[in-house]
Amino acid sequence: MHKNSYVLFFAASVTIVCSILLASGAILLKERQQENIALDMSKNIIEVAGLIEQGKDITRQDILGLYDEYIKSKVLDLNGNEVEDRNASDLNPKYDRDLLPLYYCQKNGEIDSYIIPISGKGLWSTIYGYLALEPDAITVKGITFYKHGETPGLGGEIEKDWFKDNFKGKKILSPEGDLISISVVKGKVSERVSAEEAYHYVDGISGSTLTGKGLTQFLKKDLIRYEPFFKQVRKREME
Amino acid sequence: MPDTEVKNTSEQKELKVIKPKEKLFSKKNKRTLTDPLSDNNPITLQVLGICSALAVTVQFNTALVMSAAVIFVLAISNVTISILRNKIPSKIRIIVELAVVATLVILVDQILKAYLYDISKRLSVFVGLIITNCIILGRAEAFALQNKPWPSLLDGLGNGLGYAAILMVVATGREILGSGSFFGLRLIPESFYAAGYENIGLMVLSPGAFILLGLIIWGQRMISKKFEES
Repeated sequence: MHKNSYVLFFAASVTIVCSILLASGAILLKERQQENIALDMSKNIIEVAGLIEQGKDITRQDILGLYDEYIKSKVLDLNGNEVEDRNASDLNPKYDRDLLPLYYCQKNGEIDSYIIPISGKGLWSTIYGYLALEPDAITVKGITFYKHGETPGLGGEIEKDWFKDNFKGKKILSPEGDLISISVVKGKVSERVSAEEAYHYVDGISGSTLTGKGLTQFLKKDLIRYEPFFKQVRKREME
Repeated sequence: MPDTEVKNTSEQKELKVIKPKEKLFSKKNKRTLTDPLSDNNPITLQVLGICSALAVTVQFNTALVMSAAVIFVLAISNVTISILRNKIPSKIRIIVELAVVATLVILVDQILKAYLYDISKRLSVFVGLIITNCIILGRAEAFALQNKPWPSLLDGLGNGLGYAAILMVVATGREILGSGSFFGLRLIPESFYAAGYENIGLMVLSPGAFILLGLIIWGQRMISKKFEES
């Protein structure tokens, strides 16, 4: 039998060795991991802007190249006005609650799409993604989700192409100009809502009604925050 | 009788020298490596590590990365614990084993996040859950604590490969039946779908893995004729 002092000594040594290993591993790999996370977000932005095919493997250089060429960003306040001295990439959602990052895709000097980050509770986890709108600020160009902890095969299906493709061409405004947002129905749109309303709804995922409910809620919440800005956009479009 | 004493010790010394060193791949060591592949497979015979086997086998490439991670952790943790086996106080041995395993698993997770980000995203929590994989702690307790580092390494590799083999089989079955693809490549042609063929949705969900795994266990026990009878 070992003495108590030896047991303590042994436990302490194991702890120290393990923590040194973990700490050095974390420090050495941190840079690369953060690069990967940033790259993944850029990839999602160019994907939602329709610059690359969904789910296709693409090299680092291509992602960064496309991103630099087409994607611009700015920061908005809650009234939809641009905040000049801030950068979209260094906003901290924790402290900058009153500031909204806005990305936009610009082709040949003309705006091709507006991209806003969306996030909120699904069933188990916070879901993060991007929503792209056409230059009219009414029609959805695409949607993507880059981080979530929903059940694979059920709520996790939100990241599948068939679900994301559902959103394309849907409208966030009613013909009268009110913000309706887009809701995930339980089941199929064609069986649940009338044809005139169908463009505010997308098909749900069977077995994950609650993920869909969460998605509906936070999509509306985020769109309301950006509505002052999009109102300005629509006004400019009319002129 | 000092003479005989001297003689005795010298004899002992001679004996020690004469005793042949065990070969690296002696019969016993080979069995340590190959037994867990079939006759003593950790999944099908001991039914350990089921949770992750069910979760990560929807696609072949996630199963492959998961297997590599488990083989790595199992081999290194077995060797580490075997080297320390005479130093570890028995009172805290489980905690020490867990600390070793957890450290390795976290390192693997960090490395995957840095170099295979896409796959690590798909494996999500299941890499972290290797810590609680019964195979790893089981081998540390049952083998590494009593054996030298080299056989422990073989035991770790063998069990890791045994785990990997089953994962590969289940993942192949699930991906082909559930998604109609293999390694991400479309396998079943579009014309089949046009003719009314549908992917078996059940295979994408956990129960599909459970059924496949059950069939594999049944098949193996039928062939090896090893039953647990009361």
